[in-house]
Amino acid sequence: MALEHKVRGVDHAAFPTFDPAGTVRFYRDVLGFPVVHSICAAGWGPENHPDFIHFFFDIGNDDRIAFFYYFGLEPQHAHERGDVYAGFGPEVPEFFVRSRHLAIHVDDEADLLEYRRRLDDSTWPVEMQIQHETIESIYTHDPNGYMVEFTRAMRPVTPQEDLDANLTIDALIDVVTAPDPSFGKLLARKAELIVERAADWEAAQV
Amino acid sequence: MTALYVLDVPENTTVAKVAAEAGATVGKIGPYFEITADGPIVIDRRATGCRHAVWYSCVAGVAGGQIVQHDKNALQVDPA
Repeated sequence: MALEHKVRGVDHAAFPTFDPAGTVRFYRDVLGFPVVHSICAAGWGPENHPDFIHFFFDIGNDDRIAFFYYFGLEPQHAHERGDVYAGFGPEVPEFFVRSRHLAIHVDDEADLLEYRRRLDDSTWPVEMQIQHETIESIYTHDPNGYMVEFTRAMRPVTPQEDLDANLTIDALIDVVTAPDPSFGKLLARKAELIVERAADWEAAQV
Repeated sequence: MTALYVLDVPENTTVAKVAAEAGATVGKIGPYFEITADGPIVIDRRATGCRHAVWYSCVAGVAGGQIVQHDKNALQVDPA
């Protein structure tokens, strides 16, 4: 039996910033995300912790993105690629650098285009707008180098996609806990799971 | 026998349709298309009308064979 699912979304996801003025301009003034909380804290503790401001923006659904600004703290790396938290040298492929990002949900095309308009009128215009056939997204980087996506679903997710996702994950775990994982092995294992489970799953749908 | 499994969602229906037109047998197992053939299964990408994101993620499973081509032109599964 599945564990009861009690959580209620993102309380906050937190990131450091060295540019609180730019960060407030981007999230509050350009995107219109309200400031909903902030903490002004004197440094304490054994680690010579600097004084800091921890501030929060509402990203909808009462979820929040939060930032830490540390007074007197210098940037922690000198790489040009990546963001202020993590920098990467030229040996790191671009797809890897771009893999970590925050995607914020909007309801429909009109809302997506509204955020596109707000960004395009700012210092941080949309860098890409992509229809992935089932979803449509816009992307930019915030003043800290963090990649931010806005995305809308072009159709509702169907129940069979949840089945498929679970078969993928079960196959993936089987493949990555055995030697030499590959995409081909995953598709072979997933085929076995489809044969085992897909008909019963459909019969259980009413 | 080679079997290719494709999830039955709106974007994927042309994949099964083109496979059938190319001579493969298309059945269903639960919410998946089960595309089978004694020999290779070849699906022309342009005939499906699929663009990148759907085309490169349309395969749910492969049994009794392996993918030997999956590029902008075609998907081909050959018997093992």
